[in-house]
Amino acid sequence: MKRYIVALSLLIVLLVGGMGAAALQQDSSSPRNDPKPSTTSKNNVQAEEVTGEEVFQANCSRCHLPPMSIPQRVTGTIIMHMRVRARLSRQDEQLLLKYMAP
Amino acid sequence: MRFVHQLRRLRFILAAALCLHGFGHMTAQDTSDAENHAGHVPVISGGVGYIHSVDGGVPTLEPQIIPVLLVPFGSHVLLESRTEFFGFFQRESLTYGPFTGKVLKNVDYAQIDWLANTHVMVTAGKYLLPFGLYNERLVPIWIRNLQDAPIDANIGILTSGAGDGIMLRGVAQQTPNYTLQYSAYFSARSSINQLQAARTAGGDASIYLTHPRLEIGTSYQRFLQDREVNNVAAYVSWQPATTSLDLKAEYDYTHTGNGYWLETAYRFDKLQIPLLLRRVQAVGRMQQFFALNGGGNALPRVNTQQFDFGLNYYFRDNFRLVSSYGRSFSSQQDANIWNVGATYRFTLPLWPERKK
Repeated sequence: MKRYIVALSLLIVLLVGGMGAAALQQDSSSPRNDPKPSTTSKNNVQAEEVTGEEVFQANCSRCHLPPMSIPQRVTGTIIMHMRVRARLSRQDEQLLLKYMAP
Repeated sequence: MRFVHQLRRLRFILAAALCLHGFGHMTAQDTSDAENHAGHVPVISGGVGYIHSVDGGVPTLEPQIIPVLLVPFGSHVLLESRTEFFGFFQRESLTYGPFTGKVLKNVDYAQIDWLANTHVMVTAGKYLLPFGLYNERLVPIWIRNLQDAPIDANIGILTSGAGDGIMLRGVAQQTPNYTLQYSAYFSARSSINQLQAARTAGGDASIYLTHPRLEIGTSYQRFLQDREVNNVAAYVSWQPATTSLDLKAEYDYTHTGNGYWLETAYRFDKLQIPLLLRRVQAVGRMQQFFALNGGGNALPRVNTQQFDFGLNYYFRDNFRLVSSYGRSFSSQQDANIWNVGATYRFTLPLWPERKK
């Protein structure tokens, strides 16, 4: 019985994960049609320059869904709060401010 | 005597130099704020939610309002607090009769933060204990994918989920490839109303690998009152860049039990399907808990397994319908767990914006 429960649970988790993995494979096999040019080209020395959007995707989107609807006048306060909560660097904070309240 | 005077003068000069250096440093940092239009006004943020839950045939109504108060003093000091007001209503005889219950309130945290620099942020007051993924990040109802907390979520957060004392946190090192983050804290024992906390010390460290978007972390806590015990957690969080997959897993250990949970969530927003369906998120979670030494301390006394499956529908990034079905198995009881509800996150400025 226990084995059955564990197997069933694992199946549910894998099913949801598998949907994501399938989409991941599909995305990587099909040509990308991003509206913005990629900033991470391996041949470019500037490739390592991180943008606010990348900081958002890397940190904020671990818990929050983009796009975040936050009024500009409170963005500074909210990002201060999130800098503490998510242990962001000062540099990340500045990039996020520029991205979310340009 | 003259030596003492000289020593005092030297101390004064040194203190003044440090203050000026600190002020200069802060001003230098603040100049970069001119590059954006972000306001630093006091804010009430938070969430509102209503969850109708049926656990083992017992229905429960749970309306909740959870305001988060944020008051910045400049761009380096922040006062923040979160208070939960939640109703808990059940039928008089659990499965039949009229609903009765009460509204409870709890101050989750009330802290002051000094954002000194990238490497050190100092937090003092009542703060959330940084243990594992759940307590600090996923407790808010407007963030969590499934409304029920994992079985082992109570490990490492006794007695109230918060500590009273001081915490240091920040980024130890950041490169284009990885970020190393840490938290370290000490909490004093307190039984003051709304400030309950246990005497504990501990910390959390995690490494975030930028390109695969993978975070691996571990937490340790020494519980220092009554019976001294060690609590340990190890966790993984992964959100690949090209798809809306969210994978989180955690293992927790304490004297009265250990367990793990594995959760995957997938949002349909990047699929070539009608817009209406792209707002759906599917969630699956499995978990096992193994009782040790009789269990207890807010943990089950017997081995328990549970799986959950949820569907969430996002009208906007801050408003969604949530639903889930789970089944829990243990030698005491097998039970179905249903949850249906809605959550909404709000943000309200409390002050007119300052002119720069």
